[in-house]
Amino acid sequence: MAKKLKEVLADAGISMDLQSGGKAPEMMVDREVKRAPHPRVKKLKDIYMDTLSSANDEFTYWYTREYMMHDSEIPVIRRAKALKTAFAHSTPAIYPGELLVMRKASYFRGSFPMPWLSEGFYMAHEDEFYQEALKRGSASVDEHSKFGQGGGNVTKSFGKVVSIAGKFGVRQEEIPAMLKLAKMWYGKSVDDLGNKYEKMVPEYKTKEQIMRSIICMFDSGYTLPQGREVINYYYPLEYGFDGIIKMAEELKAKVAGKADGDGMVGMNRLYNYEAVIIATQGLQKWVNNYAKEARRLDKITKDPKQKEEYKGIAERLEWIEHNPPRTFIEAFQMIETIHLAVLNEDAISGMSPGRMGQVLYPYFEQDIEAGRITEDEVLELLELDRVAKTSIDCFASTGVVGGVLSGNTFNNLCVGGLDKDGQSAVNRLEYLILEAGITMAMPQPTLSVLYDEKLPEDFLMLAMEVIKCGTGYPAFMNSRTAQEFLTKQYGVEGMNLEDVRAWAIGGCLETSPGVWKPLHLNGKEYWIPGGAGQPTSVGVHFISMPKVLELTLFNGVDPRTGEKVYEPHNKKLGTYEEVWEQFKLYWQKTCEVLALTNNIQHDIWRKNNMAVINSYLKPDCLDKGHLINELGYRYNGTFSVESAGTITLVNSLAALKKLVYDDKEVSLKTMKEAIKDNFGFKDAREVNSFSLADQEIREDAADKWEKLHFKALQAPKYGNDEKYVDDILLAWENFFCEDATKYESLYGFKMYPCQISVSTHGPMGSATLATPDGRLSGTTFADASMSAFPGTDRNGPYALLNSAATWDQAKSQNSQLNIKIHPTATRGIEGSKKLLDLTRAYMRKGGFHIQYNIVDSKVLQDAQKNPRNYRDLMVRVAGFTQYWVEIGKAVQDELIARTEYEGV
Amino acid sequence: MEKVLYRDARNYVPIDVIKGIDHLTGQTVMADKEAPKDYEAMPKCKNCNSFKAEGEQMGICEGSMSDPKFFAYPDMVAVTCEMYANK
Repeated sequence: MAKKLKEVLADAGISMDLQSGGKAPEMMVDREVKRAPHPRVKKLKDIYMDTLSSANDEFTYWYTREYMMHDSEIPVIRRAKALKTAFAHSTPAIYPGELLVMRKASYFRGSFPMPWLSEGFYMAHEDEFYQEALKRGSASVDEHSKFGQGGGNVTKSFGKVVSIAGKFGVRQEEIPAMLKLAKMWYGKSVDDLGNKYEKMVPEYKTKEQIMRSIICMFDSGYTLPQGREVINYYYPLEYGFDGIIKMAEELKAKVAGKADGDGMVGMNRLYNYEAVIIATQGLQKWVNNYAKEARRLDKITKDPKQKEEYKGIAERLEWIEHNPPRTFIEAFQMIETIHLAVLNEDAISGMSPGRMGQVLYPYFEQDIEAGRITEDEVLELLELDRVAKTSIDCFASTGVVGGVLSGNTFNNLCVGGLDKDGQSAVNRLEYLILEAGITMAMPQPTLSVLYDEKLPEDFLMLAMEVIKCGTGYPAFMNSRTAQEFLTKQYGVEGMNLEDVRAWAIGGCLETSPGVWKPLHLNGKEYWIPGGAGQPTSVGVHFISMPKVLELTLFNGVDPRTGEKVYEPHNKKLGTYEEVWEQFKLYWQKTCEVLALTNNIQHDIWRKNNMAVINSYLKPDCLDKGHLINELGYRYNGTFSVESAGTITLVNSLAALKKLVYDDKEVSLKTMKEAIKDNFGFKDAREVNSFSLADQEIREDAADKWEKLHFKALQAPKYGNDEKYVDDILLAWENFFCEDATKYESLYGFKMYPCQISVSTHGPMGSATLATPDGRLSGTTFADASMSAFPGTDRNGPYALLNSAATWDQAKSQNSQLNIKIHPTATRGIEGSKKLLDLTRAYMRKGGFHIQYNIVDSKVLQDAQKNPRNYRDLMVRVAGFTQYWVEIGKAVQDELIARTEYEGV
Repeated sequence: MEKVLYRDARNYVPIDVIKGIDHLTGQTVMADKEAPKDYEAMPKCKNCNSFKAEGEQMGICEGSMSDPKFFAYPDMVAVTCEMYANK
């Protein structure tokens, strides 16, 4: 039996026992806080827990059928007509016990392909389209991405069900039509057209190599072209659908035939308003079909209570089909409808409801005052929303949905922050939102506290209680740090102090711009926040920093594939500074090429596939008459450069500096040989574990590299408040935060740094050789951007916070720090206070984000062995919460291995 | 009366690709199981006057305004199709 690394180290007297600050009890310890949802919600949750992710052709079919009829029409009108027809023909699916209705597709957890964006990835692997996608590099990461084998993922075909992209179940009867529809988009999709034109970028070949080597995780313009943004519900709430159509009709008459000084796109306003009207009519028909179905169900149902509920659903839908909502439940139904409408308009992850508790507060306040609703009824609706949001799937490739998203769709609900006048924005409804996070522990919507010193103490303590459920939410985001970033990035677009305060998180951790709008309800005016920015986490996606270092060391060649990616630098790399300088040059080359090619993809998207519905919801599209593609949004400088593997890179640079250059313990040549030989270990995929400790030594290697590997592991590591390595982090951040602004988005704005890993640290680690820090080939990188590599943060949590706060985090859109804590360390009120103190300390140091997994590592180990017993177990990964069983093994292994703090 | 599978029955709402809820009983049922005899069929293209079969799981929608007529497939639900007419 091959020896594992942890056994090798144990022989040398070094423990890989990854507990810090004490010793965990021998027995498995459960989470401290648990509460139950309302009975009807429990029933719906039970349905969800036994539901397979399912897709069908309906929306795809009707969209394509209509779109193909209008090939001579103006693109925005053609798109609006296709959307209208698709919405109008979506079959309603209402389930007993629901009060808030409507679904993405006619399944409980349904979705559908959008071949107008991309079609190659869901073809059979032998199909020429899939082969073409592999050649382009757009499917390469699929080979390194794995879904969790449990939960609702349909990872294999069975019976009459075909597994698509390793996740979605499709009925056999739908497959021929699905393929026929996909082939109708060949050469027309954003993916295909984008590729046709991105090939005109002089260094396109380098881009292909970058994608094939998984230096970059995936393209931006056709995968998830929207999302990681905050939706805006204001217009439907204030005006209703009829009001929006009326407004568009009036504005259409006003602008028809007029350029009004804008010779480029002034005339387009007419078509844009017409598109708004057409798309809205589609939504009305969609709502109407649901209302009719509720009426039909009322007629066939015998149970009097259920009959009444169907009647109520029908009445609410019939009202909001035309009018602005009057009550809390009508407003809630309206925003559920709008949310799903936007998600059906495009392939989207991270369409965040934003500060929903502040948006719905006017209705809550007035209904409570009038006795129309009780807090318990509101809590029940909030719980129902959690079932609905958790059921949202996004149909995309294995690499995107599995490798990046872990099946999550990041509908982030924010609480707290400041109001327009700079005071705490917390309201009573937000307490109930947190409460629902406890009673209805499900991954969506994930919760984020926009932390400010002005937030009430009891509210923050309640947030700590929620964290102690072990759900991985709410995350804490620093309002002050975010506001500094927003001012810097959006000042050029006129962002003022009030708008700065309207921010929220889009997606898992993306600071997104917002605005305040005046909502009127029964003669009273309320200023509500909502999104006003374009999608974020678009532009240059996830560049693997350790992989760029690998290619720096190997003169531009990927040792895994043997392919040349960059032009050889032919430098001796005789000094640490030379390594660092060359690393930066390859990094810049990567950003440069990807910015250009992705700009072209997004430009094709904006010409043929622009958002109509999401656009008109966002200020100031309706006022200006321009949609997203014509800079109709108030804030458009949202494109970014995304990094991945920060801490693995920092540790690797520290090890190189220390061992090769400062102490000269090993030559660079020998270090490279050791890396190529994986320090004498098997590859992680062969071992089928992606955790460092579990890697097995090869018999043929004997102890060839043991000494060097030991030194690499002992080299300075991030997370210990150690200047040697923290200075490397600081140098990286100072370079990256400045460098990202050198690339320009297609909208003419400077990009900015985005530092989230989502789940990319799994597949990117899988495609990267061993690293100089002692990490072995194929194992997962350190989580997020500020989390320590498992087992290397040995000086306690406050040392980790100090390391993370080395740099000015306001220079970046975000950063991410996750910590795993044993439940006994936060037990009781005292434990909650300590956790809040820890959080506050980080926020005061300028840290942007912190979140905790309050879980016993033994539970995670048992869950990996016995997944059937843990269908309900949730964990925090990077910036989101997900069911353990739906996460791929690479990320699971990292979570198990992560240092467990026994005390805070 | 012809046999109707649950997945072809009007009062069946799919939960996922293999099962759903029978709205008349409130019970979870398997999609490919036979529904009781008197269950009404779901409007699907295969039951529509405008559907002309071509091959096993493919056909033409004669109601389509496209030229040539757009394809259709027998299993597609047609409850929202304004051109649907029972065979």
